Amino acid sequence: MRRYVLRRLALTIPAVLGVMTVVFLTLHLIPGDPVESMLGEMAQAADKAALRRQLGLDAPLHVQYLRYLGRLAQGDLGRSLSTREPVLAAIARTLPATILLTVVSLAVAILLAVPLGILAAARHNTLYDHGSMLLALLGISMPNFWLGPLLIIFFAIELRLLPVSGFGGAAHVVLPALTLGSALAAILTRMTRASVLDVLGSDYLRTARAKGLRELLVLFKHALANALIPLVTVLGLQFGALLSGAIITETIFAWPGIGRLVIQAIQGRDFPLVQGCVLVIALGYVLVNLVVDVLYVWIDPRLRLAAEEESEP
Amino acid sequence: MRPPLRLGRLARALCLVLLGMGLAACDGARSLPGPSQGVLRIALDSRPTNLDPRFALDANSSRIAQLIFNGLVRYDERSRVAPDLALSWEQPSPTTFIFHLRPGVRFHDGRPLTAEDVVYTYTSLLDPELASPKRGSYRGLQEVTALDSLTVRFTLSAYEAPFLGNLSLGILPRPAPAGDARAREGMRTFPPHADQRQLIGTGPFRFARWVGDDALELRANRDSFEGPPKLAGLLFRVIPEQTVSVLELENGGIDLIQNEVAPDLLPRLRRNPALRVVTGPGTNYSYFGFNFTDPILRRWEVRAAIAHAIDRRSIIRHLLRGLAEPATGLLSPLNWAYDGEVATYPYDPARARALLDAAGFPDPDGAGPAPRFRLHYKTTQNDLRQRIALVLQEELAEIGIELQVRFFEWGTFFADIARGNFQLYTLTWVGVRDPDIYYYTMHSASEPPQGANRGRYRSAPLDLLLERGRAAGTLEERRAIYSEVQRLVAAELPYVSLWYSTNIAVMRTTVQGFRLHPAGDFMSLREVELRAD
Repeated sequence: MRRYVLRRLALTIPAVLGVMTVVFLTLHLIPGDPVESMLGEMAQAADKAALRRQLGLDAPLHVQYLRYLGRLAQGDLGRSLSTREPVLAAIARTLPATILLTVVSLAVAILLAVPLGILAAARHNTLYDHGSMLLALLGISMPNFWLGPLLIIFFAIELRLLPVSGFGGAAHVVLPALTLGSALAAILTRMTRASVLDVLGSDYLRTARAKGLRELLVLFKHALANALIPLVTVLGLQFGALLSGAIITETIFAWPGIGRLVIQAIQGRDFPLVQGCVLVIALGYVLVNLVVDVLYVWIDPRLRLAAEEESEP
Repeated sequence: MRPPLRLGRLARALCLVLLGMGLAACDGARSLPGPSQGVLRIALDSRPTNLDPRFALDANSSRIAQLIFNGLVRYDERSRVAPDLALSWEQPSPTTFIFHLRPGVRFHDGRPLTAEDVVYTYTSLLDPELASPKRGSYRGLQEVTALDSLTVRFTLSAYEAPFLGNLSLGILPRPAPAGDARAREGMRTFPPHADQRQLIGTGPFRFARWVGDDALELRANRDSFEGPPKLAGLLFRVIPEQTVSVLELENGGIDLIQNEVAPDLLPRLRRNPALRVVTGPGTNYSYFGFNFTDPILRRWEVRAAIAHAIDRRSIIRHLLRGLAEPATGLLSPLNWAYDGEVATYPYDPARARALLDAAGFPDPDGAGPAPRFRLHYKTTQNDLRQRIALVLQEELAEIGIELQVRFFEWGTFFADIARGNFQLYTLTWVGVRDPDIYYYTMHSASEPPQGANRGRYRSAPLDLLLERGRAAGTLEERRAIYSEVQRLVAAELPYVSLWYSTNIAVMRTTVQGFRLHPAGDFMSLREVELRAD
């Protein structure tokens, strides 16, 4: 198992390196000059040239890339071009808010999707089933930038139950998390329904029922345990969507996370800051998928055996 | 059956993580002050990047820095230079200015303002090590000397009329000698991480704190030399989405929004009895720019035809909801140097078609679909800009010009415009104060990267006038020169003037005494008070 985890960890390095190379090249090849956005148009050409030299932006692209990799290897993400703040500090300041938002969204999605999915499967082809699937369809179809303001108008303006925007107490996270988690909840509801439907006819469930277990226990304890496996896979894959969704959700709700930071950085052509943010997001995505892979093996003993066999020398 | 047990462990771990995150989020320091503490809450659409006046470039940073710092002079509402920290000044020779400071002014930390602080501010600004983006504007400044504790002398290498206006830069206190290097490094970084003791000025509000990454709190300076503000403090909240900031305003989460309101939302806001909408003339100037290296656009008849084809009044009425005034040139009627007696190009498609015919661009099939010629027009992805672009496309099609519209993300768009990679574009000049802006935007020596003559427009008579305007001594002399400049530019059409944006503020009715400043500054916040709900 340890070898399996180590091997998966080793595989993340080329993945992250690939992402960083693509980001570096894209940023430097698209039009837009960071020095122009830093100094403004009023600056003298000589001052612009001096700053370009000071920031190392006058060197050829491959030299800049190698320098960047060198610094990255030492854990130095550089300084933001616009604020001169260390990139790591800017990320450290904003990342907790994003983690909070994504984790709560994930929890919201799971808490909504699993019961709804089970209900839809247990009451297959009834009004409950159709109702759940309709909700799932709505969840997938509504874009964040539309659902967010809608939720604000309903819960914050009409009912005055929750704050409109910003970051603060626990109440502030509810609407952004609902907005961000809705699409994932929709996907998970459909997945749960399909997986539970799949196992409902299995022999072991018939046995459980024959033993006289209550239906709720059969569904939540026995059916769900096996139905969970495909769900965990989807969770990992969807985490990336959650992170990119966070960028829009954070902008709507004035949520001071890394998504808002990266948008501002892109607009200002703040290369080190964009690179740093993307690195963190890519790392997050890769790590979550690693955790999911490990969880997957852990939840399903058959896979664990396979993984152990595979890593035998 | 092992899996259920594992599910339980997983759920417990998840709950613990959530609990931890929840506790972290409910940080007590996040509690934001509001009207009950006499604090006015204002929405900003983007985060100010640096409040140090030597670095403040974006509009929000500059406007907030104006509340914390005072300059030697300030611009009045007609963009004339007026005294601020300097009581008076004299000019013994064309290249020497002597300023007499107001006595009894104190910084927020209680230290008295002296000539040494003025010397420090400008010497540090000119220090290449500091890499201030504003250094270029002070290239003519040779030396700053303290003559006594309240008198300071500025020596220039050559006289330039706009120099006096540049002295509106906020004055910082001179740090203790050992603190110099730290101050320099501190000020270059983002405020939450800078040595915040450095954000000390003489203005009506003093820096209090950044709350996280998205809110900035200022407290009233009770010892301000202009008298104490009526508010206890200000809270600026960064809310990027205009719709959301409007909803916050309706809900009582903020008290004031200035200029960051989509025109379409106004009817709804005007109907709300808890809100008050105030409008006033503004100086921001929108224009249509031409590329003079293009053989078609170099023809005056083509530029004039385009000017006659644009129905500005209709765009203002329908798309901008009346929140603009047709423009005649870069300087608005609020500017001391404004001259409105210039050539104008009223909406007249028939005249536009005649001009194009005369220029040798006949319409190949009359009212048919084939155009006389095709032009590429670049603009940003801003929603309103996109809608305006579509109207312009229709209007130019009327006179037989096919306008191919391309929308770009801001950074890409701006890079293209600066490089001269365009035929037509629209942009807005923000914060137009000194008429010397004509030199920067239209003198032949101001082609990027030297300046902002993006259209590569060249006019020897205009160059001469602009050089004379820069060298002129008195306001009357300058006024006469810039009258000529405005007439010449309106006649030659390097830009088609579109409109001056009207300033707008939407506030809760509890906010009393807020006045709109033509440049959109926050200066009147000093006189604002909050009435009980």
